[in-house]
Amino acid sequence: MSRVHGPWFALPVGLFLAAFFAAPIVIVAWYSLMPPRTFELSGALTTANYRAAFGEGYERPLMWSALGAALTTLVCALLAWPTATILHRSAGRWAGVVTALIALPIFISESVRLFGMSLFLMPGGGILAGTLNALFEVRVGSILNSRLGALVGLVYIHFPFMLFPLLLGVAMVPADRIEAARDLGAGRLAVFREVELPLAAPGLSIGCLLTFVLALGANAEAAILGGRAVTVITAAIEQRFNYAQDWPMGAALTVLVIAVTAAVVFPVLARVPLDRIIRR
Amino acid sequence: MHAHPARPVALALAGLTRRFGALAAVDGVTLDIAEGEFVTIVGPSGSGKSTLVRLLAGLEAPSAGRLLLRGRDITGLPANRRPTAMVFQSLALFDHRTVGQNIEFALKMKGVAPKPRRDRALELLRLVRLPEDYYGRPVTQCSGGERQRVAMARALASDPEILFLDEPLSAIDYRLRKTLEVELKELHQRTGKTFVYITHSLEEAMVMSDRIAVMRAGRFVQVGSPEEIYRRPVNRFVAAFMGEVNILAVEGGVLSGLGLAVPDAAGPFAVLRPEALRLDGGALGVEAEVAQTLLLGSRVQYHLRAGGQALIAEVPAGGRALLGPGDRARFGFDAADIAWVAE
Repeated sequence: MSRVHGPWFALPVGLFLAAFFAAPIVIVAWYSLMPPRTFELSGALTTANYRAAFGEGYERPLMWSALGAALTTLVCALLAWPTATILHRSAGRWAGVVTALIALPIFISESVRLFGMSLFLMPGGGILAGTLNALFEVRVGSILNSRLGALVGLVYIHFPFMLFPLLLGVAMVPADRIEAARDLGAGRLAVFREVELPLAAPGLSIGCLLTFVLALGANAEAAILGGRAVTVITAAIEQRFNYAQDWPMGAALTVLVIAVTAAVVFPVLARVPLDRIIRR
Repeated sequence: MHAHPARPVALALAGLTRRFGALAAVDGVTLDIAEGEFVTIVGPSGSGKSTLVRLLAGLEAPSAGRLLLRGRDITGLPANRRPTAMVFQSLALFDHRTVGQNIEFALKMKGVAPKPRRDRALELLRLVRLPEDYYGRPVTQCSGGERQRVAMARALASDPEILFLDEPLSAIDYRLRKTLEVELKELHQRTGKTFVYITHSLEEAMVMSDRIAVMRAGRFVQVGSPEEIYRRPVNRFVAAFMGEVNILAVEGGVLSGLGLAVPDAAGPFAVLRPEALRLDGGALGVEAEVAQTLLLGSRVQYHLRAGGQALIAEVPAGGRALLGPGDRARFGFDAADIAWVAE
């Protein structure tokens, strides 16, 4: 009798992943190879959808999504690093309160938060513009319905996904290593480059991955705060599936997004010692 | 508290103080450390010795007092701009780097080119007696003793004017520690650098130091050569800190516990080292009963009772049969063996 239970214990998770992760990807990938505007999985295989994806201007929304995701990741990282460092080193008993305040909004629907942000940014009588006008008689424009508006929304929604992994990362930098580097002549920048960044890299990498992947697939930020200023790839995919009733085309675009995601995720994950983070 | 008169002062501590709220962890410490001297600051945990070395390295700013390096005031200079280096208690090696990268760190910070950096690192590997092929090895693959040596080499790399060592041997097992103590002493002689060593272990301090400063509650209680500290402790704290010792109260020229009159009693307490009590000779003597016999190797330690007084005696183990519990014998000593202390 075999004493190895591992495969049996893994069975429920294996079935779950097969049904809800692998199967949809296979179906979508198969659909992307069907003739345009068909609803069957039995047609002749064709690459027409992929050729159309690059011939009919879909590279623009894909580019906007990738650019938006990259910028969101960068801005979130720049904001989250000092936040995480301060929370970890000097916030003391306030760290918990601040962390909770940052985490709480995650429990509120993303659309609700974005509509709230929309009210806040509304031109003229919006909360920000109205308040500045009433109290200080300062008139400001609005970034609502612009690409910047969409980016602000993306950063606003995804900041916690960068912050929390980064908090773990910053906690992996022992204080004595920083002191040793200083003692050996390292200035602030050198300490950051030589000690803090490499030691916190696992947390930062995970944060960047989460933020990038989520922002790449984001739709609501561009729709609610970006208005018509920008079409992201998810909006294009939704439009193909729903209004255009062109499932193979939508499937082909989906596969392209998955490919971009995989091209970013796998190289990074291969270099991150996940075990070390989890054991901490 | 003056340094070796023939040598110039390397580091001068003038009324150095560090307060944390109402508590003064370091309370007005003054000391001149001579060029090339090996000074050990020894004290129990909480005595402020770690805070003191952090002040010296610039990792902590003093609340009051001044620090002069070869006459130059460095009180306000941050750690990265002080020409001193420190070996940390945790060693604080950069585990994400190789042995070579660790050793070269300070040189890299100074902007030294890779080639001379590497040459210097290899030179230091030889100095701390590590094979040169350790250069490219991750520090995580080094043993405890090897990590110790890498930390020493890293601190010495930029040719610091003074080396601070904050209990670097405390996490190492006894036998290796004994070896490294001797190596550290040799390294001090080979480099000729000024070493300031922090430890809670008197044994370590005795083996290595030119001078010992005994610290208690943020102040230096006594500063002197190991022999001075051992033979002429200034008070009962220093005497007891230096190891197992007999401390006897004196009343009217009589060691009160033993009922033994001593000539020229010079203090309210008499400190008598265990090795001063011997089985033959001695102008003074006590009849004692052995309570316990501990063979320490070359020496044997007797826990004695004489009247109501407990005593510890340590004599050479060879030459005669050991006394057992219940045996009685005369343990003799001379008045000159006694160190008199006031408190």
